[in-house]
Amino acid sequence: MSDLVGYVVTGLGIGAGFALVASGLVAIYRVTRVVNFAQGAFAVLAAMFTGTLLTAGLPHGVAELGGVLLGAAAGLIVGVIAIGRPGTSPGTSLIVTLGLGVLAYAIEVLIWGDQPRSYPGVPGVAEVAGARLQAHYLLILAVTGPVFAGLSWFFLRTDLGKALSACASNRYAAQIVGIDVRRMGLIAFGLGGALGGLAGVLTTPVQQVTFDSDVALIVNGFAAAVLGGLTRPVVALAGGLLLGVAQTLVAGYGGGAYQVEVALVLMLTVMIVQSARTPIAVAA
Amino acid sequence: MKAAAGCAAALALPLLLPSRHLATFVLLTLAAAVTVGVSLLMGYAGQVSLGQASFYAIGAYAAGLLAVHGTPPLLGLLLAPVLAAAAAALIGFPLLRLRGHHLAFATLAVQLILLSLLAQASWAGGAIGLQGIPRFSIGGYSLTDDLGYAYLALLVLGIALLVSRNVVSSRAGRGLRAAATSEIAAAASGVPVGGYRLAVFALSAAFAGLAGGVYAFFLGYLAPGSFPVLLSIEYVVMAVVGGLGTIAGPVVGAVLIVVLVQVLNTLGTQPGMPDYAPSVLSYAVYALVLVVCVLYLPKGVVPSVSAALHARRR
Repeated sequence: MSDLVGYVVTGLGIGAGFALVASGLVAIYRVTRVVNFAQGAFAVLAAMFTGTLLTAGLPHGVAELGGVLLGAAAGLIVGVIAIGRPGTSPGTSLIVTLGLGVLAYAIEVLIWGDQPRSYPGVPGVAEVAGARLQAHYLLILAVTGPVFAGLSWFFLRTDLGKALSACASNRYAAQIVGIDVRRMGLIAFGLGGALGGLAGVLTTPVQQVTFDSDVALIVNGFAAAVLGGLTRPVVALAGGLLLGVAQTLVAGYGGGAYQVEVALVLMLTVMIVQSARTPIAVAA
Repeated sequence: MKAAAGCAAALALPLLLPSRHLATFVLLTLAAAVTVGVSLLMGYAGQVSLGQASFYAIGAYAAGLLAVHGTPPLLGLLLAPVLAAAAAALIGFPLLRLRGHHLAFATLAVQLILLSLLAQASWAGGAIGLQGIPRFSIGGYSLTDDLGYAYLALLVLGIALLVSRNVVSSRAGRGLRAAATSEIAAAASGVPVGGYRLAVFALSAAFAGLAGGVYAFFLGYLAPGSFPVLLSIEYVVMAVVGGLGTIAGPVVGAVLIVVLVQVLNTLGTQPGMPDYAPSVLSYAVYALVLVVCVLYLPKGVVPSVSAALHARRR
């Protein structure tokens, strides 16, 4: 029993990371219709930068904030390049973000080298219902919950958030009422960058990060986001948590070898079922 | 006329190249053959595959495993594209319902699954890799030097180009082009869109599988690490840079990228350069060339250059 609780809590912690990556993807996709392939790179950049700041002697909290801010800045830069030119189609933007994700490899290897990196998080071991696990997982959950609550407050209650949602539901109508759709797209990219950065910053103490960890992050994040059709942040949260728990359960009880496949097969199944239910004209 | 000149140049090139560059030539030619398939898929069927390296891997492992277990290499090489195409048809049947970014992620997922399975499969050498693949041979004659493999790779590229040219100008090719513009209109006019898409997907996988088979015999060693996701991205870069939906595009794209990476690699391995320089430079090249090309030369190099020449001649 305590094994099960341990796996579930650990899984929730890992899943929260996926959910944050996914929410960044969703934030960008809703407004711009661009699937941002560089989303995993934000996490890696933020995590590596946080490590450097901590080594430089900055206290915890400040260093993590620096990482998240770098993620937001990277998001904004990617946004400017991917949607800055008027008339760039979402398909073209996807290829551009793919290229920028590879460019991030060059930058990361140049500055931080190609070895795995990590830094200490919350020290010690916590006990939850008899299960012993790294206390840091609880911090991940404690941060992710309020972040998602804040996100839904932001989208539903603030003017800026409402403007973003307006672009998401009907670009044309949003333009008519005077919303600058392109600026909203850039803001969405910045927000997505910050969320991706937060994912990297939070999970690095329990999962080492290398320059190419972004592939695993983006695939898991996409898998979580696709459950909600890439447009619903709360479903993305549920998807991420489900994915994390499923992976740790398979790893825990199944010997650990097949946890990658679980996420991927789940994602493929969801996409295929979804596409079978939507007519071609809508999916295209 | 132009095609004949291109063929002659390609056939003469291996003899003229210094032998230390022959290995690069072989890998470049194989990459071009895979890119022909990617270009066909992206340009005519309108589908992005971020997992093309998985079919390269399937072809390579098929040829390698068969050869290790004593099958004649020629048979192994012929079976490699068949198996890759069969795998693509099997995977493509459910996956090709997906469009755009969904398909891109799905193909990426397929490659990650394949790599993970290969790393655990002890019968395929696991994560350490498959060793001791014999050299390619027909009858008693065995291909041992790089020059032979250069011509074998050219043969593969030639087959891929010829088949893809014929497919494009065939009835099926016209149907596909129609479907890429408007799927509904094409379907309403009686084009079996789904079937054609699946066929192109399988065909592009067959090109990749055939090239992979040559790769297995050329290197004699295969590991899951030889087929990273970045390799799939490379093929997309080459296809986009060269120009989607053109016959010469994939070859030009592959040559441009590989030569650029080689030049920078030579630069990066100069004494005094840090040891991470080569990888940083090659990542940067892929990224910048792709981004600049997609934004400022969206049709690719070949259509843009030929349009410019055409305008001048008038």
